[in-house]
Amino acid sequence: MIAAILRAQWLSMRSFRLDSRRRSAIFSIITALVWYGFWTVLAYLAEEFTASPAAGNLLLTGLPAGLMFVFLYWQLAPIVSASMGASLDLKKLLIYPVPHRELFVIEVLLRLTTCAEMLLVLGGSVTGLLRNPIYGGIRAAPRIIAPFLMFVFFNLLLSAGLRNLLERLLTHKRVREILMLALVISAALPQLYISSRTSMGAVRHLLTEAPGGFWPWTAVTRIALRQESFYSSLILVWWSVAALAFGRSQFERSLHYDAQATASPTAGLNGRTRSRLEAFYRLPALFLPDPLAAIVEKELRALSRTPRFRMVFIMGFSFGLLVWLPITFGGRGPGSTVVSDHYLTIVSVYALTLLGQVSYLNTFGFDRSAAQIYFSVPVSIAKSLVGKNIAAVLFILVEMLAVTLASLVLRIGIAPGKLAEAFAVTAIVGVYLLAIGNMASVHFPRAMNPERVSQGGAASRMQALIFVFYPIALLPVFLAFWAKYVFQSQLIFVLILCFAAALGMVVYWIAMESAVGAAVQRREKILMELSRSEGPVATE
Amino acid sequence: MNGLAPAIEIRDLRKLYGSKAAVDGLSLTVPRGSFFGFLGPNGAGKSTTIRMLTGLIPPTSGSIELLGMPIPEQEIDIKKRIGLVPDESLLFDRLTGAEFLEFVGRMYGLARPVAKERASELLGLFELADQPRKLIAEYSKGMRKRVAMAASLIHRPELFLMDEPFEGVDAVGARLMKDILLDQVRHGATIFLTSHVLEVVERLCDRVAIINEGKIVREGTMQELRSASETLEDVFVRVVGAERAFERLDWL
Repeated sequence: MIAAILRAQWLSMRSFRLDSRRRSAIFSIITALVWYGFWTVLAYLAEEFTASPAAGNLLLTGLPAGLMFVFLYWQLAPIVSASMGASLDLKKLLIYPVPHRELFVIEVLLRLTTCAEMLLVLGGSVTGLLRNPIYGGIRAAPRIIAPFLMFVFFNLLLSAGLRNLLERLLTHKRVREILMLALVISAALPQLYISSRTSMGAVRHLLTEAPGGFWPWTAVTRIALRQESFYSSLILVWWSVAALAFGRSQFERSLHYDAQATASPTAGLNGRTRSRLEAFYRLPALFLPDPLAAIVEKELRALSRTPRFRMVFIMGFSFGLLVWLPITFGGRGPGSTVVSDHYLTIVSVYALTLLGQVSYLNTFGFDRSAAQIYFSVPVSIAKSLVGKNIAAVLFILVEMLAVTLASLVLRIGIAPGKLAEAFAVTAIVGVYLLAIGNMASVHFPRAMNPERVSQGGAASRMQALIFVFYPIALLPVFLAFWAKYVFQSQLIFVLILCFAAALGMVVYWIAMESAVGAAVQRREKILMELSRSEGPVATE
Repeated sequence: MNGLAPAIEIRDLRKLYGSKAAVDGLSLTVPRGSFFGFLGPNGAGKSTTIRMLTGLIPPTSGSIELLGMPIPEQEIDIKKRIGLVPDESLLFDRLTGAEFLEFVGRMYGLARPVAKERASELLGLFELADQPRKLIAEYSKGMRKRVAMAASLIHRPELFLMDEPFEGVDAVGARLMKDILLDQVRHGATIFLTSHVLEVVERLCDRVAIINEGKIVREGTMQELRSASETLEDVFVRVVGAERAFERLDWL
């Protein structure tokens, strides 16, 4: 049965590859090469570190610290990046008489999709230890490899459990926003801690040198480095069994979970909130004619009710603020002055780029098959794209206001000049990104599930696009800042920004013309892509 | 522009996917004011034909004229005068029924107050007004079909293109929808619909075409197709060549 499910998924992916998505696969391959290339270099460094006989005592503290990083990355990175990778689409599979334990095995194996890069790093570390004569060399392979395999097993099981738990919690309206906020705050805690200049010694000791090797990473280290085997093995088995129990119980609960019964999209708003939102939705009609106003209004309504969009929107100002805050005000070097000078600009541009994934870079994504309405009503596709762009701009404005407000609440002094700079820079970057987004939306459309708060892994096409295009969109603004610091002139900075804005408008116009032409030419493929359903494994 | 032209005039229409023809040299004329049933087995090319008629997909070759205007040359003018109920959902899940209908009305050029008023009336007509804040995402399949049909009516089109409009609709809803469609035909509209429910086609349509493997295999008025001894279903099964293949599977 496991084989049948995996084969069905393979066949689904095969049609995906051979069909109209072939071009986008090139982007995915380029990104994957760079991404995994980076981790391969890290794996090589890990291998060199663990292979060195001179590393000695350094390995005793370095290896558990590295393994703890692997653990944290494996468990937290998918959550923080809202990218929980592939998972079983239980709705499609529950109708068949497949034993739950077999489904669970697949679910656990799919956790490999979220952190394949960690396997590279662990592989590098193991290879290095096998080359290190101090720890027994290749003859000690079973003793060295076994605890690492156990560590992988433990991480897979735990991440399967966490994923199921989070997926369930995130179906609750409001709860998901609060939970996500809590998660991003917790993810930023280490940075806040580091910036607070508190001594790390105690924490480091607790986590990496705990007596008896209480943590899985310390237990692995003690076995692999021939310090102690019996108790450490017991500890490792205990953690793995606990992760298995947690993962299995969470999976079972997900199997019997009725998401629809708990998530009512209309419930919960009181009259005052509703009327305020209604005023916001009706705003475009005050300054735009129909059908443009109708399209913008529809986008505002639909996106603000889409859990996935709301999640990213909240992350834009909350996570953005928390990540950049310590870098800005906690650093000691001259670089931190540059960053703190442009704090609001950096956070705003970060929020803008984050919003791209759920709005302007794949503008028909949440419409899915309903996007055909834009091709069947007597309105040009250019107007539809412009309408969607205006809606994205409105959300970006609200996001920036939220960032500004949050900065004021945190008593971060913002001079009017800095505020103007933040708005100007974000607007200019926004113009380039919208131009890119319009092209991407017609050339690489992808149906997005509005209910799923997570998204594809590192190899997804959207991330490929981001990887390729964000630097291009940011280049004119980078040049302006570079010139400002090289020539020490605000005037040059403003002039280059003005030039970048003018150039951006031309780029936007050309991209719009091209996107409209492509939309007409490719409408059949676009609608096919947006109507596509997945196999038994949801990879979105 | 051309008041006497047929509602639909298709000439030698072809749609190829690779070397396979989904629609293969289809020619068809649908007179104005008719209730036209377009039948065929699964995969015969019905939906592909409707999608070409609405301009959602371009034909490989051949010509289409709707209400005397050629596609794609006068696409925008044509779209203003047709109402569409496609097989797949064209509903925005995150809007309420009223919001969606108002949106569609405005996309067809209705002023916002008019669109809003008509949306409200259509919701009442289709018995969807009792839960105004319910999102379309929470609608049942039948309710979604009702909203889709209401959306196709909001701008008072002259020609309706409907792909399986009664699929998933309960008996009460289907009856309501049929009455509305018949009323539209009485007022001069033309309806071109596909359906697998042959009894419905038999009761509603005055003209029928049967398509199989991309080609029209039978066309005419309902009287021409039926005989005293044959129902529409008998004719359909005979012309599309269906056989009792299951009898050969002894394990079934």
